[in-house]
Amino acid sequence: MTHWTDRLSDYLDGALSSADRLDCARHLESCAECAATLDELRRVVARAQVLENRAPRADLWAGIASRIGVSSPGITSLGAERARRRVAFTLPQLAAASIVLVLLSAGGAWLALSRGGNHEIPLTVSRRTDDTAAAATVSWVSRADPKYDARVAELQKALDEGRGRLDTATVRVIEKNLQIIDAAIGQARRALAADPANQYLNVHLADTMRRKLDLLRTASALVNART
Amino acid sequence: MLLTLAALAALALPQTDTTIAVRPGSRLDVNNFGGSITVKAWNQSTVRVQADHSSHDEIEIAAGPTVVSVRSSSRRGGPHTVDYTISVPAWMSLTLSGIYTDITVEGVTGEVTAESVQGEIICRGGSGNVSLKSVEGALTLEKARGRIELNTVNDNITVTDVVGDVTAESVDGDIELTNVESSNIDLTTVDGGVTYDGTIKDGGHYSLSTHDGDVELGVPPGTNATVSVSTFDGDFEADFPVSVTNTTKRRFTFTLGSGSARVEVESFDGDIHLRRPGQLGPGKHRDKNHNDNEDNQ
Repeated sequence: MTHWTDRLSDYLDGALSSADRLDCARHLESCAECAATLDELRRVVARAQVLENRAPRADLWAGIASRIGVSSPGITSLGAERARRRVAFTLPQLAAASIVLVLLSAGGAWLALSRGGNHEIPLTVSRRTDDTAAAATVSWVSRADPKYDARVAELQKALDEGRGRLDTATVRVIEKNLQIIDAAIGQARRALAADPANQYLNVHLADTMRRKLDLLRTASALVNART
Repeated sequence: MLLTLAALAALALPQTDTTIAVRPGSRLDVNNFGGSITVKAWNQSTVRVQADHSSHDEIEIAAGPTVVSVRSSSRRGGPHTVDYTISVPAWMSLTLSGIYTDITVEGVTGEVTAESVQGEIICRGGSGNVSLKSVEGALTLEKARGRIELNTVNDNITVTDVVGDVTAESVDGDIELTNVESSNIDLTTVDGGVTYDGTIKDGGHYSLSTHDGDVELGVPPGTNATVSVSTFDGDFEADFPVSVTNTTKRRFTFTLGSGSARVEVESFDGDIHLRRPGQLGPGKHRDKNHNDNEDNQ
């Protein structure tokens, strides 16, 4: 029997297609495990919705930004985003939220993750296992971070302008490898879109984006060396 | 006719052969636009520079108190290719660089920094900081000790019989470490396989990551490690029983022994294999010749 555990949040949000919703409902009738998980999701959502809104206590973007070579934060206003964001959870996110709710029931920590209609997505937590304390914190960042994009565009422009100073074979190799990295970034983005809370995918995407910057920097250094 | 032949013969002969005394602690700095740099250790306190080059080129050797610098200059046109063979005291540190330059180092015990753009780098020996970088060339490192940094873009990295911290990065190439003694390993590529067959020490940190390729990790018996496995679209396989303690979608953790070392193995689109040392197979690592053929299409 195939469980619907990973799509129960979508079911709860009404985000499934009609056919999937029907299949899920039928499955819930016969699967006690998924039914219990769905009940738990409902409870967590209900509790989260009555909590006071509050910004994350720790900003993880600085660490992530440094990993991908972006110097300044790309954090958007929580208030502005929150005003037009619906509350939606995936199962791992809800698990993290449950922990926070238990620990901070009096203080009312706020935790919510966005999905769907806008381009802002949660970029979660840390790479290393010893950073699991940070795993319950979510920072709001734009996956299409303008600082990163600007730096990539700047380096790409330098490469385009300086390609005449490089050996054509070198240019070909650099462009081929940039395409390899871009393909990897695209695959990671698509995977993350389907599984936004996946810590591995978040970090893998950040690492791969950082690799693109590294290669462009290398290319830029070659151009400068030949100038 | 004879004069022409004599001129051609002269062009083919080594044009430079110079030996100079060096002080202990001196460093050799060679920059060569194209050709090759071969550095070999010998049991003397002198540096011998032999160079095959065009008669239009001049080899400039500057011996300062701490650095012996070797460059070429052209009396006509742009830079030409030079093939250097340089003998140095084993202790001498090396800084070697070039554009279209293959670099080979044999038997030194000092620090080594070697960088090329379109060239292969082979280093046998070196200690302290050992750094090899190329854009289009393969990197081979053997019998080095110390803090090792290896970076190429479009080729493979092969490391054998090395002791120390190793960081290795490629974009389109495999990374393979064999018989390595280290407590700090960081290997990452985008399109290629990653193999590590070496020690896993208590308290150490080992990270093996690729986007599109297999990861093979040799795990010695008696290892104490917390192993984190992540793959988006691949399988996991171990040649020995593991007891998974923490599972999430596409990511899980298990502990071996006391769990002292931290091991992270990740492949977005590839399989992850844990083997016993010496049993690592070829996996799905690509044949570089195949890769080159693709490049030429």
